[in-house]
Amino acid sequence: MQMRGFLGRLADVLARQLLSWLHRRVEPGSREWLDALTAESECADDGWQRLRWALGGVPLVWTINQRGTVRARILLGVANIAAIAGWHAVIIQAIYVATHFFRCHLFFGNQPGGCQDHPFVFASIAIGGGVLGMIIALALRARFAAYWWAVISVFNTVGSVWYLRSGIVDLPQYGATQSAMLMAATFGVVLAAIMRDSPRAPASFLSRHRITARLIAGTISFAMADALIRMRDRHLVADNVNHYVVLGSAMFAAILAGLIGRHGSRLSAKGTIV
Amino acid sequence: MPRLPNTSPQTLSVLELLLESPRSWHYGYALSQLTGLKSGTLYPILLRLAEQGWLETRWTEPEQPGRPPRHTYRLTGEGAKAARTKLAEAAPSRMTRRLAFVPGSR
Repeated sequence: MQMRGFLGRLADVLARQLLSWLHRRVEPGSREWLDALTAESECADDGWQRLRWALGGVPLVWTINQRGTVRARILLGVANIAAIAGWHAVIIQAIYVATHFFRCHLFFGNQPGGCQDHPFVFASIAIGGGVLGMIIALALRARFAAYWWAVISVFNTVGSVWYLRSGIVDLPQYGATQSAMLMAATFGVVLAAIMRDSPRAPASFLSRHRITARLIAGTISFAMADALIRMRDRHLVADNVNHYVVLGSAMFAAILAGLIGRHGSRLSAKGTIV
Repeated sequence: MPRLPNTSPQTLSVLELLLESPRSWHYGYALSQLTGLKSGTLYPILLRLAEQGWLETRWTEPEQPGRPPRHTYRLTGEGAKAARTKLAEAAPSRMTRRLAFVPGSR
């Protein structure tokens, strides 16, 4: 009985927290319908009913935020896809040209006579390509593409450091580390993007403790990537250095994504980004 | 083929309920209870109907102190007329759908 009461109160708290979070996702001028739904939640008989009612706020907020913006979102989606696909086409050609210039006969290969003889050149192209992609995406106001390039930059940076330290010839045995780095970087960016504070929102825990939030994003990403890799490859557990690589990748990605989010928020405040 | 606006079974059930007493104001929670629609389905429908000018909205003072004001709804003249037309148009298919769920009707 006590347990049921506790769970009911917990559901009630969750419902109120959800509604409060949803309010921060809607511009003040468009809150009428969410306010209406919130007011009606007081009619619910218990916490679970209130939580079920509050969950309806999620599609409602989505509907509110979609109004009049579908066309803008489609255009933004096209810009993001073009920024990613276009730059991939450019960077691949650039790497071909550079590898030809430096007499590297291979693309991403590691056979003798290939790019492993020019690791600094290869790393510079890979990192520079990612960073340049990020800068161009930000200039195009394509935030998703910027996050995409943030992951690529993190992956290439951490990967390059790792390869230079361990020797590129031994790359195949670090397949698990590569997957872990990529996963950690992706999780870090996604979480940091979710955690980013909006200029429309009132001051929250995240905006007051932005660095803490980024570190949390990085740590969660590390834990997730690590857990997934542990399930797949037990070798990673034995090699502690790999853990530091994955952790560094997640932290780096979260901080980079945080910076992109901050930049995007400033643009949003100026009305130049959706 | 895209669906015509305001012809979904959920929208029609809301319109049907509002038409039962077109001049009365209705609360969202009561509409949800009576139509069986969840809040996440009901409110986007109400929002769309209001934007199309079919629905009038009004904030009312709470019945109990300490509670927030409540949003209420009723059909506009145009909305009531359009709702009757939509329900009449949809009546045969709605009837078929209902019969399909009656035991022994197949």
